Amino acid sequence: MKTIKQILAISAISLMSFTTNAQNQEEIIKKHIEAIGGKEAWNKVKSMRSEATMKANGAEIKLTFIQIDKKAMRQNISLMGMEGYSILTEKEGWSYMPFQGQTKPEPMTADDVKNGQDGLSLKDEFLTYKELGKKLDFLGKDDMDGTECYKFKMTNKNGQETTYYLDASSYLTIKQSSKVKANGKEMEASTMYSNYKKLPEGIVYPMTVGGGWGDTEFTKVEVNPVIDEKEFKVTE
Amino acid sequence: MKKRIAIFLLSVSGFAFSQTSFNAGMFGVLEARQMGPGTMSGRITAIEGVNTDDGKTIYVGTAGGGVWKSTNAGASYKPIFDKYCQSIGALAINQKDPSIIYVGTGESNMRNSVSYGNGMYKSTDSGDNWKKIGLDSVEHISKVVIHPENPDVIFVAAPGPLWSKSKHRGLYKSTNGGETWEKIFYINENTGCADLLIDPINPNNVFISMWEFRRQPYSFNSGGNGSGLYKSTDGGKTFKEIKNGLPEKPFGRIAMTLAPSDPKQMLAIVESNKTGLYISSDGGETWKSQSATLNVCARPFYFSTIVIDPKDPKRVYRPAFQFAYSSDGGYSFTEASYDGGWVHSDMHALWINPNNTNIMYVGTDGGVYMSVDKGVTWQFNHGLPVGQFYHVSYDLKEPYNVYGGLQDNGSWMAPSASPGGIGNGNWDRVNGGDGFWTVPDVDGKTVYSEYQGGNMYRTDLSNMKSEYIQPQKTSKEEKLRWNWNTPIVTGSKNPKNLYVGAQYLYKSTDQGRNWTRISGDLTTNDKKKQKQEESGGLSADNTSAENHCTIFTLAESSLDENIIWVGTDDGNVQVTTNGGGTWTNVSMNIAKCGIANQAWVSSIQPSQFDKNTVYVTFENHMYGDFNTYVATSNDLGKTWKRINSSEFTGFAHKIAEDPINKNLLFLGTEMGLFATLDGGANWFRMKNNIPEYALVRDIQIHPKTHDLIIGTHGRGIFIIDDIRSMRNLTKEVWEQDFYLFQTEDLVLNNGKFGWGGPEISGGWVTGNPASHPSITYYLKQRLNAGKIEIEVYDSNNKLLQTLPGTIRKGLNKVYWNMRETPPKVAAGSTKMDGAGFTAPMVLPGQYKLKVKVKDKEYEGKVNCIHDAANKDLSEADRKLVYEKATQLKTLYSNINNTIDTINLYQNQLKKDTVAFKKNKNAMAFHADLQKVKSDLMATTKKSIFADEERLREKVSKLYGSFCGMESKPNATQLESIDDLSNEFSKKKKEMEAALMKHLPKNPEIKNNKDIR
Repeated sequence: MKTIKQILAISAISLMSFTTNAQNQEEIIKKHIEAIGGKEAWNKVKSMRSEATMKANGAEIKLTFIQIDKKAMRQNISLMGMEGYSILTEKEGWSYMPFQGQTKPEPMTADDVKNGQDGLSLKDEFLTYKELGKKLDFLGKDDMDGTECYKFKMTNKNGQETTYYLDASSYLTIKQSSKVKANGKEMEASTMYSNYKKLPEGIVYPMTVGGGWGDTEFTKVEVNPVIDEKEFKVTE
Repeated sequence: MKKRIAIFLLSVSGFAFSQTSFNAGMFGVLEARQMGPGTMSGRITAIEGVNTDDGKTIYVGTAGGGVWKSTNAGASYKPIFDKYCQSIGALAINQKDPSIIYVGTGESNMRNSVSYGNGMYKSTDSGDNWKKIGLDSVEHISKVVIHPENPDVIFVAAPGPLWSKSKHRGLYKSTNGGETWEKIFYINENTGCADLLIDPINPNNVFISMWEFRRQPYSFNSGGNGSGLYKSTDGGKTFKEIKNGLPEKPFGRIAMTLAPSDPKQMLAIVESNKTGLYISSDGGETWKSQSATLNVCARPFYFSTIVIDPKDPKRVYRPAFQFAYSSDGGYSFTEASYDGGWVHSDMHALWINPNNTNIMYVGTDGGVYMSVDKGVTWQFNHGLPVGQFYHVSYDLKEPYNVYGGLQDNGSWMAPSASPGGIGNGNWDRVNGGDGFWTVPDVDGKTVYSEYQGGNMYRTDLSNMKSEYIQPQKTSKEEKLRWNWNTPIVTGSKNPKNLYVGAQYLYKSTDQGRNWTRISGDLTTNDKKKQKQEESGGLSADNTSAENHCTIFTLAESSLDENIIWVGTDDGNVQVTTNGGGTWTNVSMNIAKCGIANQAWVSSIQPSQFDKNTVYVTFENHMYGDFNTYVATSNDLGKTWKRINSSEFTGFAHKIAEDPINKNLLFLGTEMGLFATLDGGANWFRMKNNIPEYALVRDIQIHPKTHDLIIGTHGRGIFIIDDIRSMRNLTKEVWEQDFYLFQTEDLVLNNGKFGWGGPEISGGWVTGNPASHPSITYYLKQRLNAGKIEIEVYDSNNKLLQTLPGTIRKGLNKVYWNMRETPPKVAAGSTKMDGAGFTAPMVLPGQYKLKVKVKDKEYEGKVNCIHDAANKDLSEADRKLVYEKATQLKTLYSNINNTIDTINLYQNQLKKDTVAFKKNKNAMAFHADLQKVKSDLMATTKKSIFADEERLREKVSKLYGSFCGMESKPNATQLESIDDLSNEFSKKKKEMEAALMKHLPKNPEIKNNKDIR
């Protein structure tokens, strides 16, 4: 695991910043928002329910996500006949991962709950960063896995930093890497986005999301389903 | 398994937006493994910590490995400067806003092998992103100091160029956070600013030491009338020279310090004809000589750090040849203890946590050490892989070993792969001193190595006993001149030939037991360049580092052992075609293509395809010329053609030709690794998880594994595993939108290594190469919409597995585990069941690949072959294992289907929980099903520390062992399959009996269409 951590650490290295060109920056963000389906379509998104699979050596891990914009989210993971979940609301967070030996739901630390709050927003970060009081830095052009990208960094009120790589030809986000300081530790994590698809509601959504252990593929994405808030209560 | 997953995680690449049709981005997936090691680390030049962070955040600048950051007080480090110049002179943190960091590139410990910088850099986000902010031409920076009250004011001490006269030296100041710079103090073209202090209490007091110094390829001078100590009392507007109490000029280098808690207390080590320690207690106005130990005063040009404790003006630290400290303001010194382990000598940096002055970090020629007892004892930080290799080599074992010698860290070897990965403990020391060429003999038992100045040994690897084998001068020779970095080379055609070079070339065919001199003096033998005993300047410094007019590189043609090429440090390229009988000096022919005739010949690569062709790198940096010089000849050196590229940066160390594709060449320079696919017409920078400006000293291509082995002077060794896809990526391929390469044969086994025991704790750990070849394809452009899937079919066209494909531009690699799809696992257990992750390994044969790229399909094939090397498993055994594993998979699936059925009934029964609790029939039905289910799988114990083994767990365990089996199964294993099958049949009958019994009493279930 050490190796993996080291590799991730190495992969988090980033680049020289270029002179910010405010006009250019606004233009790129505008095109990015157009590329993901436009502000109007995203403003209508209030909740989501999605199903996904993750493949590892032919085995499938099933995931479901439910989220009410700015309020609460839950992820269920079904692995090897066991069910686990994590829940985050504005006030608290819980995780139950029996595969890791947890025998009952365990609360998230206050730091983790605080740092997770931005993630409760369903919308693309370029639509919400002002509203959430994030600082945005344009870091110029860079390459990411051989693809020319525009690089932006957002810093939220807690000082957590996330860097976004927008494909310079499609203006879609292809990578996001976050640096999180919590519980006395500093951690880095990267997420890759691909296989963008326009949903019937008009938003353009990445159907493949790559993380540490492999790719998660969305098989179903429901926009604005009715979600019972009870689903965000801890169950055993 | 773990390592294979690690391979999937490799990410990040580089990309050159170059004009050529191929570029680094295409090969980004060929990620180098960073071997490190952290075992011996390398030279540290600067350490700074964040004062307001409990001492947790520390930045380390290195001689050739960039900047590293720790956020856990040194428990682990990560590199944060991999896109820029790797030679670091100084660091500074704005302590009022510690997200602002300045890096001055270009180390200022002015030894012979020091690299150079390209200016100042600034980060405003704690080192994530950097911006170049000027002073591009100063080459060396020794100190960066931020004004204690106004952090927009920054002072930079620039000794300036080492190898040439320059106006770009002196004291620089910025008043706008580095946007613009002004040179505020300057003496002359030979004198730069070596040290810089600002009084923290009265920042108008600025102290600087000016230093006159110069290196030439064959001598060093520290000292001159330009050197001096200066003080400003107006924030650097004006300076006055301080002489009162100091020795007579000329001075050499001066290191100085003041007590932050009482800045009138100052100390200085002044190099002069009376080099010594001087003390001032009036803010530097007057000084008094103080007797001090050798350690305090030795080698002032190299040891320029002296520090007074932030709180205690009496506590003084002198990290130098050893670590010395004083508790009485510098009147007496004692040296650190080795109770915490040996501490590497030669120290250049010290950071003391101002909030807890017991804690400090020292930077040495061999890494960072931490003390928690005011410098008395030290603990090594094991995770900084910044070793400075000069050369690397390999043997032909499986897995092969790498060998190499390092600056001030001896010679070492390590396996290129090892169970559990390669950690600090996998490295074995071969020799001491400064290490250079470390070359294994073809016998597999012997290695040749050396320390500085050609002191060479033959070592028996079975017991590490060494014999000194340097050829000695006889009456027929002049005094032998051995380079600091003397070549020891075995023959490329005849590996039993061993060559070493002084000014003469020597050859041995019996492992250095006997030598034949096979040349006259091959150098220019310029006597003006041979006065090393006068080297050093005010302090004698003659450690063989300046030896000159010597052979520096040599190579035997891999096509003809009688063709030998020799390159010298004074510009000669000599070639013989008769094994040394006669020699031709071709250097005058080279000068015609614009390469200075005194330039060092840094490497020679005789072509492996044509006897008359040769590639040579030259470097002229010791004459102040950092250009990249590469030339080739195809007529044995009569005429030469320069190879050049706008991509090149840094002076050239090494050129390597691929042994299979003659158009594939690699070039290593002081600032990067470059490759060409078209024989040298177009080049691109390699960024494959390698710092973009790495100091690449050596490049080897392993003939069996096709690995590219890279020796860097500051980041240890890198290995890019199996570059065959790079060889095969021809123009015909890269012009297509998609191309599936023929997959190499997959040998059916679980890889080369087992688990390898518990994880290595601490230090630098590198993973192993992929255990099996990948399915490799090329994509012209990254795929944004749609996805790639690879389907694997057997000969009956049965789909075995669907693999998700990667979508990056250029080469992509996907690994198939040579197995089918694992069985499904029924829900409801309290234990995770691993069987759902594994499947029987396929049998030998040809398998079809169908690659779906968006809406297009491409076909390929892959051969899976029996592992003939495994004597424990015959082909018949393999079939038996496969059949039994498949039988167990079926049994496992049947158990899960039965559990699924039970789950279905139980869920229906409990659908309405209120009604369920009132319905006795339903409860009885549920209970009987639960009884069967709890025999079928673990349902009670949740804790991972409590075993609960029911039928499914037993089958799963046996199934797992058959899936991973690499030997013939034993009789008990085979027998237990039948037992478990019988047990299952019994349980299935029990379930059926429960249904028979209860369904009639539960009509709502019996009639439920969802179940039927």
